Amino acid sequence: MGIRFILCFNKQGVVRLVRWFATSDNSTDPQDEISQIYRLISSRDHKHQCNFFELSDDTKLVYKRYAGLYFVIGIDITDEEPIYLSHIHLFVEVLDAFFGNVCELDIVFNFYKVYMVMDEMFLGGEIQEVSKDVLLERLSTTDRLE
Amino acid sequence: MVASSLRSFIKDVRGAKTLADERSIITKQSAKIRTKLRDDHLSNEKKRVNIQKLLYLYILGEKTHFGQVESINLIASDNFVDKRLGYLATILLLDESQDLLTLLTNMLNNDLQHPNKYIVALALNTLGCLSSTELARDLYPDVENILQTSNDPYLLRKALQCNAKLIFKDRSLLEIFPLSIISSKLLANPIVCTHGVLLGVCKVLQAIFISLDDTLQKGSDKNDNEEDDSIEEDIQEDITIIKSISDLIPQLSTRLSSLNSKNLEPAYDVQGIQDPFLQCELIVTLKWFFKIGNHLNLDEITQYNNNFNDLLTQLATNTSSAKNPGNAILYEVTKSIFELKLTQPLRVLGINILANFLTPSKNSNTGNNVKYVGLNTLIKVVPEEPASVQRYRKFISQCLYDYDISIKFRALGLTFAIMNEQNITELTTELMKFLGQISKSHYSYVTSYIDMDDSKDLIVYTVDNLLKKFELYSNDDEKAKLDSLLTILKMSGTFIDLEKANDFLVALNNMDDLNYKINTFSKELTEILDPKNKANTLCGNACLDLVMIWCIGEYTDLIKLHSSTNKNIVNDNSIVKYLSDLNNKYRLSHDTRMIHYILTAALKLSSKIIDGQSMEKLRQIIVSHSKDSNLMLQTKSVQYELFFNQPAAMKKIFLQAMPKFERKNINVSAAQSHNTTGSKPENQNNDLLLDLLTDTVEKTSPNDTSKPFENKQHDIIADLLASTGNKSQNSSSTIKSSPVEVVTLPSGAVSIHDGDELQVYEKIIDISPGLAHLELYIKAKNNKISNIQPLCAVPKTQKLTLSQLRPSNDIDVGKVVRQTLKISGSGKLKLRIKLSFQKDDNQASESEQFDYKLDKTI
Repeated sequence: MGIRFILCFNKQGVVRLVRWFATSDNSTDPQDEISQIYRLISSRDHKHQCNFFELSDDTKLVYKRYAGLYFVIGIDITDEEPIYLSHIHLFVEVLDAFFGNVCELDIVFNFYKVYMVMDEMFLGGEIQEVSKDVLLERLSTTDRLE
Repeated sequence: MVASSLRSFIKDVRGAKTLADERSIITKQSAKIRTKLRDDHLSNEKKRVNIQKLLYLYILGEKTHFGQVESINLIASDNFVDKRLGYLATILLLDESQDLLTLLTNMLNNDLQHPNKYIVALALNTLGCLSSTELARDLYPDVENILQTSNDPYLLRKALQCNAKLIFKDRSLLEIFPLSIISSKLLANPIVCTHGVLLGVCKVLQAIFISLDDTLQKGSDKNDNEEDDSIEEDIQEDITIIKSISDLIPQLSTRLSSLNSKNLEPAYDVQGIQDPFLQCELIVTLKWFFKIGNHLNLDEITQYNNNFNDLLTQLATNTSSAKNPGNAILYEVTKSIFELKLTQPLRVLGINILANFLTPSKNSNTGNNVKYVGLNTLIKVVPEEPASVQRYRKFISQCLYDYDISIKFRALGLTFAIMNEQNITELTTELMKFLGQISKSHYSYVTSYIDMDDSKDLIVYTVDNLLKKFELYSNDDEKAKLDSLLTILKMSGTFIDLEKANDFLVALNNMDDLNYKINTFSKELTEILDPKNKANTLCGNACLDLVMIWCIGEYTDLIKLHSSTNKNIVNDNSIVKYLSDLNNKYRLSHDTRMIHYILTAALKLSSKIIDGQSMEKLRQIIVSHSKDSNLMLQTKSVQYELFFNQPAAMKKIFLQAMPKFERKNINVSAAQSHNTTGSKPENQNNDLLLDLLTDTVEKTSPNDTSKPFENKQHDIIADLLASTGNKSQNSSSTIKSSPVEVVTLPSGAVSIHDGDELQVYEKIIDISPGLAHLELYIKAKNNKISNIQPLCAVPKTQKLTLSQLRPSNDIDVGKVVRQTLKISGSGKLKLRIKLSFQKDDNQASESEQFDYKLDKTI
């Protein structure tokens, strides 16, 4: 059920965001898992290969590359992939509007704000709000509270 | 100098020239944060900076456990900014298994009742991400309170999502969840009922259904268990819950329907589709209603079955498949159709949607996405609707040529899943094309867009499955089958395991159309031996080599006789040279499996050629391994050399072509019935053996001479150990391993006897000077015949070898058994045959006798 984790790393494999929603049952070190995911994704053909693949017996990956950044969502093997691609797209669109033409450096230096956006959009691995306008309004309100 | 602000820390890490630099910056900073956080008098502002740095370390994958308690402490601050960072750090650094979570209980409890809704939201968010069973129980009343009292969609949706998570944690909570508020408050009030709230409602309902489903599963798993009563109670409670929410079905259906048909709110428009997220969630939620409702057969739910079918049809027809969001909805529709096992027209509709995903016009990677899910789902649903999937063979075949390896694999899987007797020829042609393309691209650096290992996997997978299918559907068109096999072998022999070549050999050997087989291999051999195609012997296709070696051993005599053979290219000399080349090649590479085949082929070939020089070369091939370091090869070489020197006529008998090889799927009872075989044929066999013994006993063990080719199937050492004394034992073991087969009357068989109970047909397999090979087919006419024993006599100038009756010495009415006869010697072929048998399991023995003259001389 729902999203297991959200990852974001650049083409060199430097991690920019990590978020685990479900504690992974297997004993593998999360860092190893991330580097394995990076290896798998970076070796795929960006143009011709599809955006989904099976990572293990219980996890599927949905990913998309925006400029030099990969956004990856890990979902249950029984979940459907296409809608999660829309999740990623919506997330990136919101980031883009929030930072105003977002780039990798925005995410690097303001990672805690990105997490804020993530928490407005997803709760415990489920999408909770889908309207860009509503999201941005909330975000600017809470931003002003600082 | 270690930086003090977060920004400069990040800059320092990014600016590090080497890995060692980076490591030292991180270690220093990490130590500094550790000291700072331990300082109780640190201002909150400084604390925040340090926690932020800690989170950056977390992203980098560094150890952060030392900051967990400080993060929780930060939540206690009254400042919103502190609280927010504290909660964020807690969510990131802790997980649900940690005891530290209990520290959160009070803070969350306070914050859930906080007047500031943003603080309540933070607490809800944290509880949704991190909730142990204890937390769930302790804080559930606060969450429910928000649901009951708040009218703010912002808080309601968070509370709903959080509630769904809590129900997952503790199923007993669903019994106290105020379900009535869903329809009375949440859905009824248009101001409250935003898309976010609806998403939350869907999630709560799904959480309820998943818990119910668990209970039902347990109920069906533990039928005889003592706990039955409590589970039964649970199920009864569940039924009450479901009945109470069944009136939500029409409400949710209407919302889904209007979402799908109208496009009113631009805020929720995603690439031309109105809120695909909510549409998908609504479909899933409704699917759960019907899944549980149909399972329990609740009228409250099943009454809506038809409406739901109509709704799915509407979604399927109205949703555009141009963009990903639309496809996501369509995909969810098909999943519902097949999960709920809906009516046939809907299933066909589902297949059509999925097949539409495969259309070749979609070539971008978005196209590949739907191809991927389409194929994935089709593979799962093929068994339910095979005929509809069949119609899209073309689309599926096209996916074989997709750039994406995962799509290729799935298309292959699907192709094999839909393969049947009718389309095997068509699909095989398609797969051969595919094999050709992929084998070629494997070697080409220019066009090779897929990994070498991947393409090998693809080839092996294809060949494996094709062979299996060939065996499954032993199609009537043997010629096409032989051609296919040979093409596969040539294209992909380098990739597949040598063991697989055995399957090829069995298939070749068992082919009935001898003429076509010889013609094909004659052509093949001509091509290989043609001096113009020098490169052929050097190519590394071991499987092809193996098959050619075997064919040379088996069929050289026939190939030489065949009209299409070019005598200038294919002759004793060139064939032996080819074999000798292969021997050298595989001796260098120490491929013992190949050498075994080469040795046997050389020995067999020695009975089929006349040229003296070539004969000597063959001997050299065999002798070349007499000092081999491999004991088995050495033994074989020495034995074969002894045998090689036997007179030609003698060799000929034993170096016959292989009989039909059957798969060893023995069933025990049939094997046992073989053991009761009549004594006469046995005796004949033994006589012959004795004859042989007088000649060769000093030179070689009789067992080796009589069965040189058993070596292929038997352990050579076992053969060596076997002496004349345990011959009978040995032969009975051979009989045991002989498989069950169904003998049918071949075309061209001549009736030679028509008695009261039995009808006998005869077929000439091969007649050459000194040797004749016949088959008798005995058919039971009116009654079941058991324990049949054929006794045959031939003129004194000839010797007769009778083999076992196949498949057994019992015949059902209308069925046929086969008796193979080998006659050596000279003179006219004449037979006197006496068949003794028992009728209808009657103990009394009966017999029929007749004479038969062939118009042939050996």
